[in-house]
Amino acid sequence: MITLNVNGMRRAVHAPDDTPLLYILRNDLQLMGPQFGCGLAQCGACAVLADGKEMRSCITPVASVANQEIVTLEGLPARWAKQKGLSADEAKTTLHPVQQAWIEEQTPQCGFCQNGMMIKATELLESNPNPTVAEIKEAFTHSGPSANLCRCGTYLAIITAVHHAATIMAKREVSNDHHA
Amino acid sequence: MTTMREPPTNVPGPTLSRRQFIKAGGILAVGFGLVGSELLKGDAAKPPMLGNSLDPSLGSSWVEIHPDNTILIRTGKSDFGQGSTFTAYRQIVAEELSVPFAAITTVIAGDTDRTPDGSGAFDFLGHGTPNIRKAAAYTYQALLDLASEKLGVAKDMLSVKDGVVSGGGKSISYGDLVKNQQLKLTIPVKGDLTSIFGLTIEGDPPMKPVSQYTIIGKSYKNSVTSSKVAAQETWATDVRLPGMLHARVVHPKTLGSTLVSAGALDKTKFLNSQLIVKGNLVGVVAATEWEAIQAAEQIAGSTKWSEWKGLPGNARLYQHLREEADWISAPVAKGDANKGDVGPALASAQKKHSATYRLSYMKHAPIGPTMAVADVKSDGTVHIYTHNQNPQALRGEIAMMLRATPDHVVVHSYPGPGHYGRSNGGNAGAEDEAVLLSQAVGQPVRVQWMRADDMQWSTQSAAAFSDVQIALDAKGRIAAYQIDHFMPAMQDDRPIGAVLAGLPTMPAPQVQSESVTSTVNGVEDNWVYAAIPNVSEVGHGTFQVGQKASPIAVGLRDHSMRTPGQFQQNYPRELAISEAAALAGADAIQFRIDHLNEARAIGVLKAVRDASAWVPRPSPRPVLTSTGSTPVSGRGVSLMLRSGTYWACVCEILVTPSTGAIKVEKYTIAVDPGIVVNPMQLQRQVEGGAVMGISHALFEEVMFDESGITTEDWNSYPIPTMADIPEIKVVLIDNLKVGAYGGGSEAANALAAPAIAAALHDATGKVMRSLPMKPAYVQALLKT
Repeated sequence: MITLNVNGMRRAVHAPDDTPLLYILRNDLQLMGPQFGCGLAQCGACAVLADGKEMRSCITPVASVANQEIVTLEGLPARWAKQKGLSADEAKTTLHPVQQAWIEEQTPQCGFCQNGMMIKATELLESNPNPTVAEIKEAFTHSGPSANLCRCGTYLAIITAVHHAATIMAKREVSNDHHA
Repeated sequence: MTTMREPPTNVPGPTLSRRQFIKAGGILAVGFGLVGSELLKGDAAKPPMLGNSLDPSLGSSWVEIHPDNTILIRTGKSDFGQGSTFTAYRQIVAEELSVPFAAITTVIAGDTDRTPDGSGAFDFLGHGTPNIRKAAAYTYQALLDLASEKLGVAKDMLSVKDGVVSGGGKSISYGDLVKNQQLKLTIPVKGDLTSIFGLTIEGDPPMKPVSQYTIIGKSYKNSVTSSKVAAQETWATDVRLPGMLHARVVHPKTLGSTLVSAGALDKTKFLNSQLIVKGNLVGVVAATEWEAIQAAEQIAGSTKWSEWKGLPGNARLYQHLREEADWISAPVAKGDANKGDVGPALASAQKKHSATYRLSYMKHAPIGPTMAVADVKSDGTVHIYTHNQNPQALRGEIAMMLRATPDHVVVHSYPGPGHYGRSNGGNAGAEDEAVLLSQAVGQPVRVQWMRADDMQWSTQSAAAFSDVQIALDAKGRIAAYQIDHFMPAMQDDRPIGAVLAGLPTMPAPQVQSESVTSTVNGVEDNWVYAAIPNVSEVGHGTFQVGQKASPIAVGLRDHSMRTPGQFQQNYPRELAISEAAALAGADAIQFRIDHLNEARAIGVLKAVRDASAWVPRPSPRPVLTSTGSTPVSGRGVSLMLRSGTYWACVCEILVTPSTGAIKVEKYTIAVDPGIVVNPMQLQRQVEGGAVMGISHALFEEVMFDESGITTEDWNSYPIPTMADIPEIKVVLIDNLKVGAYGGGSEAANALAAPAIAAALHDATGKVMRSLPMKPAYVQALLKT
């Protein structure tokens, strides 16, 4: 049995040690944010945060991350709420600024890669709250095991959304826009 | 502001499913309609109904108005990231019905048992009149008839605002109108539900005048974007059924191999795996995904296949197409715009441009490999859960494979990675394999292709070449334009698993075809240069490369991809026109304008000229160089008419002669689609298409040897990264007087290639007449 720390919760899983984390997240823990894109760490669709750093879950053996704090797309709102000390009620109704910005800017086309794009954006903005276009391009192209790839070509929308997210984070704005 | 979100589209799982939602909401949903509408005289012809289908002749199958004034719409077109079903379709229906955008609370798309019309995820705006617009227009008339009866006010005295009908001092909401009503509205439809084009609504119901639009033209947000971004959408990849097993397929060693012997499963390692063999289809089914992957790897290593070397390989592709392919059996196709006599004009040309242009095979290359879940029940009913551009056509193909009727097959549609046309004829790759494996084990099976399966066993965008001759007269104007396009059949809709298993499919592309899978190469590039007096456009077609020689009838299978056929024809045309302008010593934009009559075509060219601050001059630039390590700048332009939309782009590049590397610095694009339905969504579609176009121009080439495709991943099939994108400027021209909505998603991906090639010529004086313009190829060209 392996015990994982995912989105702030202890989760016990029964699986061979070498099982890639992606399959554990999706098939055992019902965390569907990370997607299978290549299984080769070449695209970024499967990305999660591991101790705050972007990690490709498709090639990471589950046993190797037992001592790390894993955050998936599903866990971004709670991560933001904790960072900002939001009340429980606020936390329930608040998306991470990156997610808010992705909606406001209508960033995705098909959206399949955008899990990794939002994970990368979160990683970037936590270390650099006001990145330039060049810094954003650098982060999304060279900072991970591979560039974060988008086949629909949404890179320009991503750059715009990263800047928008930076603005929201700087204002400590709490938007309730995403409620149905 | 409230952003709407789609109800989750789940199957058994933790969240409320869209199906459950509909069931719960359905108590309130009262179908309505009206007998004997003035608009429908006589009996509408009605195609035969299939079981497990909605009745497309019922108004409520398309637009359902509920007593609480909410509205549900249904369309056979699945969303592939364009967002049109969730934005433009809502806007169009809201506009025709005169209800607020937010009243359209639910969009059901794609599911074969819950949508009426079939067809594919392409041409969403239907040249201005998609089915959903007509359905809404019929519904509006029926509502007015009903209100007239209820209020006792003549129909022409009624008006509608925000879903409330008023007239003669009285008013009633749509919700109250339909409450407790059992009414009928008959929608006239024609067509074949499971064909690529599905059903079309007939007749001409009155539409709201463009001058009264209040909803179309505004940037409403895409509801499904919110649920995807918030990790609350159910993707096709997320579907899990009770008892479902995971599978991987071990595809043959080559595109012509037959199975000699399947390997044996190592039961000491893979206790919970099963090997399934059907003809040349080899699959492994296991309880967990990781076991399926590992067991399939073990089987792949120990399975023996026959050898086959029936392909020309990349290096000989052009020679093969030019010298060895059969261009005789398929009748030539002639362009609709052909006129005059090009022969004498070419013979007496003052100056003449003659050249051949070539394009490589490209992959659709979805960012996630294709997958599907299939559940073959003991009674023979088949449920497929997938991301497919044409679920009704898939349903027909699966039924054919199983020698069953389509009413036995239900396809459930979910979001997934865009694949840009690959499944518009019904299948993307894994659906039929999932069905066959589920049938074999008697349990639901999820087939997920790995990255290499998707690169090597999916279809591709067809390679092509074109021969062009252009005659210039003494004034430097084009006196004659002749182009001969050569391309193998571009649409093979046979499901690959059925082919491998030796089960029934439609025929491979052949000369005579009942569908679009013919070897005939139609002239797809809409002609625009109306001022040219002599024009000859001819299409020559042939069979898919290697398919007839392949013992398993596979070879290099093709499938339409974004801007299909037209990409292959517009690239040579537009680069040749730029070369003709250079030959004439004319500015490439002005030269085009001088050969156009259509104001909208001239309009997009002038728009990109202004937006890119283009200074008129002939090409190449006065001081040019094709050597050295200092980057050289150049610029080029291109023009296209597609699906009622005019497009032009200007690409400004830097090329480094010593390395051959091209960097697009600035990309300016103008779009005149007629009425712009949703500016923000169109802008995002255009930006994405622009980046994909740069990818096609500079990066994309399927590599293959004599046996099969050697491209296997993102390293061997690179696409642009964020660092590769230029400054992009989009100019949207909202041309209301056109009165129709043109397409917005396709075409943008085709414009970059001829403009970048013209820019390379502008910079260096040398012309690259083949795609892609990879650094090594450009470097070799510049050394000549």
